Amino acid sequence: MKTQSLSGSDRYPVHDSTSRRGGYGLKPGLEYKKIKRTGLLPAFVCCGLLAAAFPVADMAVRSERYLSLPDSPVSILLHADWQMMSMLNVLLLVVAACILYHTEVSDNALLKMCSLPLKESSLFFSKILLLIPMLIFTLALEAAALGFCCWHWLSFSPEVLTELAYSMGFSLLLLLPAALLSLLLACACKNMWISLGIGVVCIFTATMLPADNFLLSLFPYAMPFQILAGMQKETITGFSTAAALESLGLCAAEIIFLKIRRWSA
Amino acid sequence: MKTRLNNLDTDARQSRQTGRNINILSLVGVELRKTRRSGIQWILLAADIILWMPSILNAHLNFGMQAEGISPEHNFLIQGFMGMAWFMFPASMIVVTVLLTQTERSNHGILKMLALPVSTTRLCLAKFLVLLSLAGAQMLMSAGMYFVSAAIASHTRNYPFMLPPLFVLREAGLMYLAAVPMLAFFWLLSVCIQTPVFSVGMGLASIVPSVLIINTKLWLTYPMAYPFFVITAEYGKLATILETAQVELFPWIPVAIGITVVCLAASCLCFGRAERK
Repeated sequence: MKTQSLSGSDRYPVHDSTSRRGGYGLKPGLEYKKIKRTGLLPAFVCCGLLAAAFPVADMAVRSERYLSLPDSPVSILLHADWQMMSMLNVLLLVVAACILYHTEVSDNALLKMCSLPLKESSLFFSKILLLIPMLIFTLALEAAALGFCCWHWLSFSPEVLTELAYSMGFSLLLLLPAALLSLLLACACKNMWISLGIGVVCIFTATMLPADNFLLSLFPYAMPFQILAGMQKETITGFSTAAALESLGLCAAEIIFLKIRRWSA
Repeated sequence: MKTRLNNLDTDARQSRQTGRNINILSLVGVELRKTRRSGIQWILLAADIILWMPSILNAHLNFGMQAEGISPEHNFLIQGFMGMAWFMFPASMIVVTVLLTQTERSNHGILKMLALPVSTTRLCLAKFLVLLSLAGAQMLMSAGMYFVSAAIASHTRNYPFMLPPLFVLREAGLMYLAAVPMLAFFWLLSVCIQTPVFSVGMGLASIVPSVLIINTKLWLTYPMAYPFFVITAEYGKLATILETAQVELFPWIPVAIGITVVCLAASCLCFGRAERK
């Protein structure tokens, strides 16, 4: 009798105590399987390549404009092209967040997910854990292009590599609040065009904000446009702490939002 | 008995024929009614309000434009419209295409529409006309918000920022007309590419380089740059000192019409193809 029940639990692993415990954990692997046919991965690759093409094309066409500048090579390149590149990054982020939740909502899969022994918030955190490596990949592609531009047109030294690494790490940190907010919006809106529309309006707002106002540039969608090179030390710490605090706040907001939605449903 | 059957038969044939020849305007009306509760109008309105807000706050900057030789009231209008033509207008039109394609995909509504005796080409064109009318609505809302913000700025700065309505509507109309090929291209993307990441992503990514492209000869072949190019040309006309590239109607109009026709024809061919399989 006892052996029978054991084999039963083997056959239905959902009733297994370990898998129930696993239900509360994060499963970015499962989220990865879900996006396989949405084309999200190729989209990240294409976006990275497109953004990487900007500095290369810019240098190929008008490198003489930048050769005489006194700043460090990375700083020259970032000041010339980072606006466009970060715009692409943020747009991709918004679209990706919309798609990640659209796959759940479109055929009422989210309702099924809610009936599983899973926490709804763990779905959210798995999705952000999936987004971060993809963002790192895109940023790495862009860093490679910037490094190539330094090596081919400007001067190249080991310092360039460390400066690039710092810049991209800083950008990743500043992209986090925008990623979390986009996911939160996508989670909150059932219809993709609403979350996409709000995201687009927010990005547009970010482009309209005055660059010299520190408080206004802490708007989550405006932060990715910041450039590390040539920034004051206090500003760097200001932005980093603000990004970390905003990320924590948005995570808390998501948990509270899900609780309220569950109660009111 | 026989006559009744005959009557039924002719009725059915008539209704089938009327179904096939259904007036495109009534189809547009049906499609517009579908978008009524989508909430898109609030997003378009929010975008317009955010567009003009900085203009009100920074109205004093319009007085320092002597280097370009443009009057403050003209600068107020053109700067706002440039912000709109560069990113906000194309991006919100992409959102509208998402709305038009996704509302009917969500519960297989499009399958029911395709099962009706309505020609798919007409259905596709009707949806495109809805896109055009929502674009027109946003343009009108933006012009309306201009009058509100110009009134506020005139009041706060004690300077008449208000321009004659006909002039404002003419500029908005020019931008709208220049946007038609772009809208046809966006419609093609959303109809032919089934995976939403690519249709939306390609559309949004195609907006970003338009700032660079209007400075090159390539702008003629790039419909996403048309509205911005037209507004920059208007800026150059109003600013006596600043020189910007002007619109030359000859190669542009045929190219623009060609792009629009090709995009619309391709989207009509693609429309509903994936669902019919």
